Formats: sequence, structure tokens, C-alpha cells
Amino acid sequence: MTSIDLRVAAQQTVRERPRLSIPWTTVIAIPLAVLFAVPMLYAVYVSLLDQSDLMSATPDFWPPNIDNYLTAWSEHPFARYFLNSIIVCGAITIGSMITSIMAAYVFARVDMPGRNILFMAVVATLMVPTHITLVPNYLTMAGFGLRNTYWALILPFLASGFAAFFLRQHFKTIPKEVEEAAKLDGAGHWRLLWTIIVPMSRPAIAAIAVFIFLSEWNSYIWPLIVTDTDDMRTVEIGLARLFAEEQEGGINNWPMIMAAAVTILIPPTIVFFFAERYLVSGITMGGNR
Amino acid sequence: MKRVVVPALFVLPCLTVLAIFIYWPIFYSFYLSLHDVNLLSGRQRFVGAENFVDLALDDGFHRSVAITATFVLASVPLRLALALFLAQLLVAERPANRVLRGVFFLPYVSSTVAIAVVWSWLFNTDLGLINLTIGALGGSPQNWLYDADTALYAVAAVNVWKQLGYDMVIFIAGLQAISPTLYEAARIDGASRLHQFRTITLPLLTPTLLFLLVISVIDSFQVFTLVNVMTHGGPALSTDVIVNFFYRLAFVRLDYGSASAVVIALFLFLLGLTILQFGVLGRKVSYDLD
Repeated sequence: MTSIDLRVAAQQTVRERPRLSIPWTTVIAIPLAVLFAVPMLYAVYVSLLDQSDLMSATPDFWPPNIDNYLTAWSEHPFARYFLNSIIVCGAITIGSMITSIMAAYVFARVDMPGRNILFMAVVATLMVPTHITLVPNYLTMAGFGLRNTYWALILPFLASGFAAFFLRQHFKTIPKEVEEAAKLDGAGHWRLLWTIIVPMSRPAIAAIAVFIFLSEWNSYIWPLIVTDTDDMRTVEIGLARLFAEEQEGGINNWPMIMAAAVTILIPPTIVFFFAERYLVSGITMGGNR
Repeated sequence: MKRVVVPALFVLPCLTVLAIFIYWPIFYSFYLSLHDVNLLSGRQRFVGAENFVDLALDDGFHRSVAITATFVLASVPLRLALALFLAQLLVAERPANRVLRGVFFLPYVSSTVAIAVVWSWLFNTDLGLINLTIGALGGSPQNWLYDADTALYAVAAVNVWKQLGYDMVIFIAGLQAISPTLYEAARIDGASRLHQFRTITLPLLTPTLLFLLVISVIDSFQVFTLVNVMTHGGPALSTDVIVNFFYRLAFVRLDYGSASAVVIALFLFLLGLTILQFGVLGRKVSYDLD
């Protein structure tokens, strides 16, 4: 290496150094992100205070007080609400994934008369606002005596136009050739779908499953309408009830209310941390539909 | 025969659920909207367009529409502007940016009721962080959720905070689809950042922007959970948005006919917006059928 080469190399390292430093865009974004996170962080902070600390100028934060969590869970049936939400969200996620995967497979890969019309009918449901279905679906459930049952909470959501559409787009990208070997072995549609197409589409399926789970966890107006017993309430309705009761009663035990809210934020946050990548890909795909 | 039967059986579960819980309800909602449903006997009397005429003359409905329009105007432009700004800041694929995006995106996937409860506390008149901050800065505290002049805007602010992350993620995808060579060429020509934004970013981002505009208008028009938890439509019905108006009619007053007329009107209006998106904006529909 000549001295000139060395000088060039040295200059390059000097030049590269600024790239390692934090870009100005991030410098602006960090304080914004902190400000943006304040509501959540503050909720956690308040949930660890005594109610008497709320009034004081110098709250006695340390040691953190987890009594509010215990109170929320013992005085209100949050364990039951959680169980209900997990059963309902789990059943809907699994059920709607199965119906959507099967339908998407036909829409993407099987020649069948009338297929395009059926597909259009499925896609058209994406434009329908949920609220238009509420009164008739409520009457259906009430008519069959299914209010306050898991059936009422689960059945209407066992199919998803969005999932069927999204998966169909994905299944179409898998080349025909991958099926050939299996077809020679005499595999039918059922085996082709579950042993070849589905395993090849895991990321897309995960994206949709996470998306459905989180939106069902968030579901509000439907469970509000079809449940009115603590046995069947989901976490969203349970928390809204607790909040309304505290306000009506004028008790306003804010630390306890915050503790209840924080516990309900935990599951979606965990799912988010583990599945952010899938979720974002699912949402951008939905966004470009 | 088997060639049709097996695929048909594959599609059947999905279509059965959609038929019972979406197609039939749409039809039945139309039907109910043309009937007067007697609460006691459950008897349905055909009344033609009477429910719609009543609605068109109802001051309460007018107020709901105005409130919802105000809500949309107060949240959508702010949402999109802030989201585009953040997307610009965080568009590069760096580990730090991925973490920061997560912070802005998290509220979008979080529990809406929990968020509504947390913000109700922040807006609390006596002890809420917002009034404490205003007080510390020497301003005068507001009644926020208990004041008919501020409640709707408080809820709109929470809506912006919650939905921002979704818009940002879509904007980032749109920005990343713009070829970097365009910016390089502009830099060589000595174009300023602002100039690049105006001449490259904005035109190429227009489809994304219009998509988000339609989506966010549609979902702001249907806001309910935040309102139901934070204000119950009050104070003095100042946050009685359309879906809350519908909810009161259908599930408090049990007037299914009028309530159905409200959602049918909402549906037709939103359908018009969607057609506007596909028609006037001339976007290529990506679900081609072959």
C-alpha cells in the first residue's frame, strides 16, 4: 500500500464517521416519540400510586404500589373478562383463518364456474360498514336465544372478506409448478392446500391472524349490544363498565381505574412486540388494496 | 362433477357466514328502514320513505351530522399532516427508526377503551395532567370533557393520537416506493429539500394521500367507541356523532325502523365516497380478476 493509498483510506474513514452519528431526522423524532408515549407511561405511573397521592404535590411513588391491580382484579371479574376475550378472539382468529384460507385457495388456484362472481361478492363486503349489520344481527341472535353466549360473540366473525382477499392475492403469487409433484402423487385439493400452499404462505397467514386477533380484542359495539352479564363480557366492555360505574358513583379511584386499563393494554402490546413486522406488512398490503 | 363439488365445498363456509351475517343484514336493514316497527307487538308496518323523511326533518339528526362533520374536519387533516411529517422523519430503514415507528404505531393496535379511559384521566378537570401542565405554564384550566365547547375536540385529539401510526406506516410504504434516483438527480440539479418535496414527493405520493384521505374520512365518520366511553355523547349531546345517534335510536329507544334509516343513509354516503375514490381518482383497482 502506498502512502497515497493510505491517505485516501484515512480520508474515507474520516468521511464515513458522520454516517455513524445520529441523523437529524432521528434527533427530531426522539423527543416527539417521548411526548407521544407520555399518556401510556403516565397511566402506568398513576396505576402504581395511592389514591391519596393524587392530591399531593409530591406523590410518594417509591415503593410502587401494586394494590390497585389487586383491587381491580378482586373487586371486578377481570379474570373472567380476560378468559372471555381470549376464548372469543382465539375462536374468531382460528375459525376465520380456516374459512378464509379455504376460500382464498379456490379464488386463487382452482378453475370453477362462477368463481369470479363469488370472489366479487366476498370483496364487496369490504365496503360494508359494520353498523348496517348490527340491528339485524342482534335480532337474529335474540331470536335464537343466543344473547349472552359465546355463539353470539363468535359466529358473525367466522368469515372475513379482508382475510380471504388478502390471502387470495398471496396464493396467486405461488408458481403452479410447486403443485405438480404432489398432483402426480394423486393429492387432491385438500392435501395440496394444507401440505403445500399453507406452509409456503406462513408469513402472510401470520400477518392476517395477528391483524384479526388485535381487531377482535378491540371489538366494542357488538359485544356491548349482545352481552349484559358479567359472565359474558369481554375486557373492553368490562373496562368501560368499571369506568362508567366509578364515574356515576363519584368514587373515581383513578389509580385503580388506570391499573385496570394497563392490564388490558398488556396483551395487545405483547402481541405487537412479537409480531410488529407481520402486522406492518399486513397493514401496508391492506392499504394498497 | 367432482371438479366443481370440492371447490364449492371449500368456498361454502366463508360464504355461508357472510350470507347470514352480512348479505342478509344489509337486505334486512333496507327492509326495516321502510317499516315502522312496533316495539311491543314487534309488528312491522310498511311506511315507504317516511323514516327517511322524518330523519331529513329531524333537528337531532342534523345536529349529529354537523357534529360528525366537525369531528372529521378536526381530526383528518391533522392526522394526515402529522403522519406525513413523521413518515418523512422515519422513512429510512435504520434500527432507531424502526423502534421509533413502533412507538407511534402502538396506540393504533392498542385497546380503544383503555386509551379512552387513560385520556379521560389526562383530561380530568382537577387532577388531569393536561390541566396541571396548563396551570404550570400559567394558562387557565379547561373543563374539557364536561364542556360542550371543548368535548368534541378533546375526543378528536385522542382519535388523532390513536390513528396517526396507521397513516404513518402507509405513508412510509408510499415514500419507500419512490425511486431514490429521482432525489439524486434533483440533488445534482441543486434542488432544495423543500423543492424536492414539492416536485417529487408530493406528486408521487398523491395516490397514497388520497387513499388515506378516503379511509380516514370513512372511519372518522363512524367513530363510536371513544365517544361512548369518554362522553356518552354528552355533555348536552355535544358529542352525539352519527353512530351514537344510531345507537341511541336502535338500542336505547328500540326504534329499529328509524335506526336502520340512519345506517342506510350512512352506508350510501360512504359508498358514494368509495366510488369517488375509484372513479374520480382513477386509481387502478388492484384486485384484477384473472
